[in-house]
Amino acid sequence: MSPEETIEGFKKIGLSEQKAKETLKNANVTKFLLQILSEVDVQKLQPGVGLLLYHLATKIKPQSVGKLPFICKYIADGRLDSTLRIDAALEYVLSHLNEENVSIKEFEEACGVGIVVTPEQVELAVEKHMAKYKSELLEKRYRFNSGVVMQAVRSDLKWADGKAIKNEVDVQILDLLGPKTEADLAPIPKAEKKAKTSSEISKKSKKEDNKGAASVVDSSEEAVSISELMKKLPFHVPGENFKSDGYIVTPSTKKLLEDHLKITGGKVRTRFPPEPNGILHIGHAKAININFGYAAAHDGICFLRYDDTNPEKEEEKFFIGIKDMVEWLGYTPYKITHSSDYFDQLYEWAVKLIKKELAYVCHQKAEEIKGYNPPPSPWRNRPVEESLHLFEDMKNGKIDEGEATLRMKITLEEGKQDPVAYRIKFKPHHRTGSKWCIYPTYDYTHCLCDSIEHITHSLCTKEFQSRRSSYYWLCNALDIYCPVQWEYGRLNVNYTVVSKRKIAKLIDEGIVNDWDDPRLFTLTALRRRGVPSVAVNAFCAALGVTGAVGAVDPALLDASVRDHLNLTAPRVMVVLDPLKITITNFPSDEVISVTVPDFPNDPDKSSHKVVLDRTLYIEASDFKEQPEKGYRRLTLTQSVGLRHAGYIIKVSKVNKDSSGKVVELECTAESTENAEKPKAFIHWVSQPIGVEVRLYEPLFKHKNPEDPAEVPGGFLSDCRSDTLTISRAYADSSIKGAKVYDKFQFERIGFFSVDPDTDSSNIVFNRTVSLKEDSGK
Amino acid sequence: MSDVDLKSVEARTLKAEKEAKLIEEELEKLARGDLSFVSDPQLDKLLSENEKLKHRLAILENAIKAESSKGVSKPKKRPTLITDIMSIEGTICVMDELKNIFAIAIELAYPDLDDPPVVITLSGNNPKFGDYQCNSAMPISQLLKAKNVKTNPREVANNILNKTPSSPLVDKVEVAGAGFLNIYLNRTFAEHVLNCILRFGVKPPPVKRNRIVVDFSSPNIAKEMHVGHLRSTIIGDSICRVLEFLNHDVLRINHLGDWGTQFGMLIAHLQEKFPNYKTHSPPISDLQAFYKESKTRFDEDEEFKKRAYLCVVELQSGNPDYTAAWKLICEVSRQEFQKVYDRLDIKIIDRGESFYQSRMDAVVKELKEKGLLEEDEGRLIMWGSAERTGIPLTIVKSGGGYTYDTSDMATIKQRVEEEKCGRFIYVTDVGQYTHFATIDMCARRAGILKNGLKMEHVGFGVVLGEDKKKFKTRSGDTIKLIDLMDEGLRRALDKLVEKGRDKVLTPEELKLAQEAVAYGCIKYADLSHNRINDYIFSFDKMLDDKGNTAVYLLYALTRIQSISRTAQVSLDALLKEAGKTSIKLTHESEWKLGKVLLRFPDVILKVTGDLFLHSLCEYLYEISSTFTEFYDKCYCVEKDKGGNIVKIFYERLMLCEVTARVMTKCFEILGIKTVSKM
Repeated sequence: MSPEETIEGFKKIGLSEQKAKETLKNANVTKFLLQILSEVDVQKLQPGVGLLLYHLATKIKPQSVGKLPFICKYIADGRLDSTLRIDAALEYVLSHLNEENVSIKEFEEACGVGIVVTPEQVELAVEKHMAKYKSELLEKRYRFNSGVVMQAVRSDLKWADGKAIKNEVDVQILDLLGPKTEADLAPIPKAEKKAKTSSEISKKSKKEDNKGAASVVDSSEEAVSISELMKKLPFHVPGENFKSDGYIVTPSTKKLLEDHLKITGGKVRTRFPPEPNGILHIGHAKAININFGYAAAHDGICFLRYDDTNPEKEEEKFFIGIKDMVEWLGYTPYKITHSSDYFDQLYEWAVKLIKKELAYVCHQKAEEIKGYNPPPSPWRNRPVEESLHLFEDMKNGKIDEGEATLRMKITLEEGKQDPVAYRIKFKPHHRTGSKWCIYPTYDYTHCLCDSIEHITHSLCTKEFQSRRSSYYWLCNALDIYCPVQWEYGRLNVNYTVVSKRKIAKLIDEGIVNDWDDPRLFTLTALRRRGVPSVAVNAFCAALGVTGAVGAVDPALLDASVRDHLNLTAPRVMVVLDPLKITITNFPSDEVISVTVPDFPNDPDKSSHKVVLDRTLYIEASDFKEQPEKGYRRLTLTQSVGLRHAGYIIKVSKVNKDSSGKVVELECTAESTENAEKPKAFIHWVSQPIGVEVRLYEPLFKHKNPEDPAEVPGGFLSDCRSDTLTISRAYADSSIKGAKVYDKFQFERIGFFSVDPDTDSSNIVFNRTVSLKEDSGK
Repeated sequence: MSDVDLKSVEARTLKAEKEAKLIEEELEKLARGDLSFVSDPQLDKLLSENEKLKHRLAILENAIKAESSKGVSKPKKRPTLITDIMSIEGTICVMDELKNIFAIAIELAYPDLDDPPVVITLSGNNPKFGDYQCNSAMPISQLLKAKNVKTNPREVANNILNKTPSSPLVDKVEVAGAGFLNIYLNRTFAEHVLNCILRFGVKPPPVKRNRIVVDFSSPNIAKEMHVGHLRSTIIGDSICRVLEFLNHDVLRINHLGDWGTQFGMLIAHLQEKFPNYKTHSPPISDLQAFYKESKTRFDEDEEFKKRAYLCVVELQSGNPDYTAAWKLICEVSRQEFQKVYDRLDIKIIDRGESFYQSRMDAVVKELKEKGLLEEDEGRLIMWGSAERTGIPLTIVKSGGGYTYDTSDMATIKQRVEEEKCGRFIYVTDVGQYTHFATIDMCARRAGILKNGLKMEHVGFGVVLGEDKKKFKTRSGDTIKLIDLMDEGLRRALDKLVEKGRDKVLTPEELKLAQEAVAYGCIKYADLSHNRINDYIFSFDKMLDDKGNTAVYLLYALTRIQSISRTAQVSLDALLKEAGKTSIKLTHESEWKLGKVLLRFPDVILKVTGDLFLHSLCEYLYEISSTFTEFYDKCYCVEKDKGGNIVKIFYERLMLCEVTARVMTKCFEILGIKTVSKM
């Protein structure tokens, strides 16, 4: 049929020329519509029925096409007379795809065939529900959301026409309120937006700091947790795989799904399948959270599957590191598996594919089939026997590397033809030793391992969307259980690199120290920096599971970290750049004991003691001989309060060394009760212990250091030079005995975590994140 | 030295130290074959290429193996393990059972390995290492490494341990050291086995009955038996005894040299010297001298030589007169031999080369028909292999006569086809090894030996005098066996008298002891050495009453047997007691002795396999030493100061009885007579 003829055909059922042309552009709808047209006698159609058929063509899912003639008949003879009923019919058909014969009775009941709703019924129902909202209506007038009423009516009268309900509601409202006044037409005052990002939440919680802990807890409840997020995802219920878009139903589907449910007990099964040849980074945190989180939220199980199909040098440390990080994020794999566990089965299936003429041995070189539009394989139609024989030769090492591959007879969405299933690699495998020299590809292995493990939801990033059809094709070709693939957007973080090779390069160049250098965004690095795993999870949750590939600013993660640490990391006073103060009128012969609350917002929670002595140290920057305007802290003439101590100090003498640098201040102290309230309180330490503090700055200058447009010199050229500052700081002695990964908020400075380099003689702190506001004026 | 100098020197030293350390590390890597630090791109490329090729080779080899095992794919039969202690009746071979247990464990742990080695050994004297050890972990770890599976012996050992089936024989198994599996035997099991021996006697371990020919002694007619024949006789007899103990059907054959040209010469000489030899047995008891006379004539008198050849023809064509003469000569010889055999208590069937005369014709015909014979300067020869390597057999001489090769071929054919034997043991000196190897190859080529049948050559070294030269009399003559044995008797008596035994024993007992010691020491001295080696014949050494000698062991046995006697517990009484109680291996030295006794079937089976009897002698000596240790530490009978019996430890007397029985059985197998008193 020529396009013109098709358009003519479409016009006959009532489509406009424009609409018909647009429809033609959609291959699927065109296909369905043409099939529908062949089912019905267009001449005899009642007016309006054509558009219902069009509705059917746009809504029907490919797996339901078998039932198309059946539904067409109902539409043509007027028994399905509204889009509502057609939708119900499609829903019914989809849910019962597994059954060979449609139960007419159930079907008609589900679609409300023969049920007639009179205008009187609608009127009565609207009246009934309007009554409930009367007072609200009178108050809000036209700003009342009439949708609730319509919805309520709809639930009473399932088959009532939507338009009819709306008209009736409108009429009754008009009747009640009269015509709209000027006030009704004025723009709606802005409603307070709901907090959506955690940075906003953090602002909010900061604001609420002063109000006390209770409100802080409230605000954190508003934040989306992974579990809540996962519960909202519109994924299919286990066993109803066929309801998802693009799922292919075969004659075996019903049986396979029944068996599948028996094996899984109806539980959700997911898996996190990293390649065990590198280190996990922040991007993986999303995958871990989605896979493990989705299973956890649905009382299901999640496998940790090492996707070790590549016989690369798999190092034990990577295996352990991956498991460690999964556990760090708070998840426990149901079972740890390896793709290589299934090599025997995979090989058997490959032989089966060849026998079914769905795969063949090809001798095109890798470079020949690379790139756009490569030539088709001349070996595509070689005899099965020949392929079988050659495939065995491949397995037995008789064919050299690169001389043969096994290819599957399927074209991917993006037009890639016959993806490779097996290739020869003369490399021993970490787990199978010298058993194999042919190794399966991702395209071949992934779906089959999912099938073997009876994964319900195969969750992967968007890039793999184009592999979905081959995924389904392969499972169906082998007549095995076919999981459903769902895609989500990959998480990229700005101002960093995460690729294994690039990090290795940074280490080689001495720019960072190791894989867990806190300036990196590997998960081990985040842990070392002091980022709590809960914050990582909250960060992932805040991003949501959108399909879009989004690059996120690291500040967003920082905000999430602050949110968490603010509630969990106790306050201590640490002076990074000490200036000695001697109090000349120290009011006591002994040291004064000062109680410092661990969480000033919640003073009842816990506290620790520090001493105040004649000699103490403040931050050098908290004193200025020549202050600029607006400087609020210690000057020659301005006093300042000592936080928690209850004293205010005033400079009486400045001692300088020969170069003129201030080395000591002699001050007088006065109790806060007597003195005038100072403009600021600062932190201080007395009889401190020395600690090492490592301050980190972002590694890269540009948002996308890997983007040649942004950074023409390559990512290495984009590194800042001074991203690590190590200083000796004075800390209040309560910090003694802190263990690795213990976290603190250094009063007025930021959040810090104890580094694994710490030993008995030297505590090392990493700055996890600074306080958001400037250390103040 | 100024500070600056000091500092610069220190800096230089530090730098040098650092460099030295780097070089050391490099060397270490080199030693390990790790060249990764070189980072030469070409080397890297070659290394990775090498890795690929190695992997490909492994794959191809696996494929070949899989391919060649196709069709023959033998489903591995798993041995059945003993699960019930009561099913054991004292004939259990501990080593075999342990091998079975670990074969199963290893197969379960590593099903992909073909024929993984199952190595079980005794643990030696340190009780820390258990009683037995399974040392398979190391070779298996090597095998796995060859398959590119990363592992270490300890991990392998642990895997095997995890799969080890439980057994009533084993108390526990532990992984120790680099990957040894220490096996500790179960005492209850050992006690049960020893009690069985007490109740049922020393029984052979069950084996499949076989018909076995043992060809030994084999002196030549009309020649004196020499010490070489003595070795063959002693070793062959002992081999027969051990095989007979296992209930095999043993054919003891004396392959006498009774055929050949020398008989023409002897018959001619006989006819001429004693014309009436047919009616009157000629006085040729000194056949040696008779042989020499005729030999001199043969060498010097051409006429006589011709007559001698004629006689051969007559004899071989079956002329009754000549046959009678031949028989007569043979008979004289045989009677001489029999004297030796009687003294040494040897039973043997005479079946000389003459027996194979007609069979030689048949075998030559057969070989000819099969096209296996080749002409070589008038002779017909046969090569051991089609490639004509080694030395060929001369099957037919240029004159048409047969050789030793011919008769040995006929012999093996007779033994395979007529006797239907399953094992063919030849006890001769090591010098004949090549000859028998060639016979074996030819018999295989001719299709006589097939289905895994093979000739077993039990070789032994020569007997040397104390001067480490060939064993001769002082005058340089070969020593007559009879003389040697007489000397043995004399010296044995001297020894007994020296020890004052003549005053304790009755004359009958003394005579029995004298013979037992004399013949026992000759046999034991021979058997207790690795037969392959030459051995030095020394009465002084063999009659020593300390160390691994027959004298010491015989004495030890009589001492053990006397324990019950002095306790006045008869065997009947002891067995009666055994109905009430049973052997307990509670004391460490009881346990040690028990474990040694338990090994008897192991030792026997080992001897029947490799036919090295010295391991049985070593075992006998070990029993005796271990018993001494036990007897030193454990009272069997407690006596008061007056020598009156206070308490009898029946369990220990039973252990003594079992020890005596096992030792007696060992002596029996060695062909050594035991005495109850000496």
